[in-house]
Amino acid sequence: MNNSLKREIESMFSDIQVIIPEDTRILITARKEQLLIILKFLKEKGYNHLALISCIDWEEERQFEMVYILTSYLQKNNEVTGDERLHVIVKLRIPRESAEFITVIPVFENAEPYEREIHELFGINFEGHPRLTPLFLEREYKIPPFRKDFDTRKYVKEIFDNIPFIPEKK
Amino acid sequence: MDRKNIKKWLKEHGKMSHKYSLWVIYFCTGCGIIEIPPVITSRWDAERFGVIPVATPRQANLFLITGYVSVKTLKAIIRTYEQMPDPKFTVGFGSCPINGGMYWDSYNTIKHLDKYIPVDGWIAGCMPRPEAIFIAVTHLWTLIDKDMATGYIKYREKYKYYRANQEKVLSELEWPPLYPINDNEEIK
Repeated sequence: MNNSLKREIESMFSDIQVIIPEDTRILITARKEQLLIILKFLKEKGYNHLALISCIDWEEERQFEMVYILTSYLQKNNEVTGDERLHVIVKLRIPRESAEFITVIPVFENAEPYEREIHELFGINFEGHPRLTPLFLEREYKIPPFRKDFDTRKYVKEIFDNIPFIPEKK
Repeated sequence: MDRKNIKKWLKEHGKMSHKYSLWVIYFCTGCGIIEIPPVITSRWDAERFGVIPVATPRQANLFLITGYVSVKTLKAIIRTYEQMPDPKFTVGFGSCPINGGMYWDSYNTIKHLDKYIPVDGWIAGCMPRPEAIFIAVTHLWTLIDKDMATGYIKYREKYKYYRANQEKVLSELEWPPLYPINDNEEIK
């Protein structure tokens, strides 16, 4: 099953990397333009559950890495569920300077909160997202707080330590 | 419950009523809430001390803040505190409200809760045992007896400072000041 899926994905694009690191994992490294096509193809294949969108900040390489993890709930195409369920991981990199990306809401609607969260914590702009409003944070940060160049200790010193204690009664 | 104290109780019946009916609103902010179910249920039975959980802040006079306080939670804590009727007492539970605890360098966690609302007592520990809540309650009885649990009076008197601190952390407060603010005195 793994190998046939691997061959099918490899046949779609010429410059795509597909690795099988474990029995239950398939790791696809793709480019930005290929993402929606791959996700649509995988959804039709039965991987209809977008489990997670995550983001990694590679500061030295000046890149953000987006990670999409897909899996399937249903038993389909002779797929085994449970512990032997196959996870498909799609990884792609975007430049750090222009943190622009495309939304995957047309394919997976549940991507909305994940993308809002990543927009808030990493400052990545998702083109086509209906509402990129704040989700968790109450304050505004000059640098989004999950980026590697955000210095939390300096921030704490500047903001929280500068708030005075309440004077005692005389 | 000593018979000798009956005279005193009759003299200060208001205080006695506050002491033995600490109706508590739990603010489930962090991991501290895990200690609350055993406290209010039959294993430790908080009702022996007159501590009953209530549904809304308008019925409560003890505010127990269990666990770390993020900036967003602080907003809800201030709202809850301002809705409680006087006299009201606040107890910070765990090390995180005291000075940030293990979140001392977090970008989104409040470090000293007593900069934003008055706190009458602290329970240190990570996590404190349920017995610590009862020790805190009995300490609070002593404080009420001696007129030392006066956080709510301090909040009224120093409201300008509290409000200024709250506005520094929360960029926009959606409600008007609870008490009138005198601008005669300079804020340092």
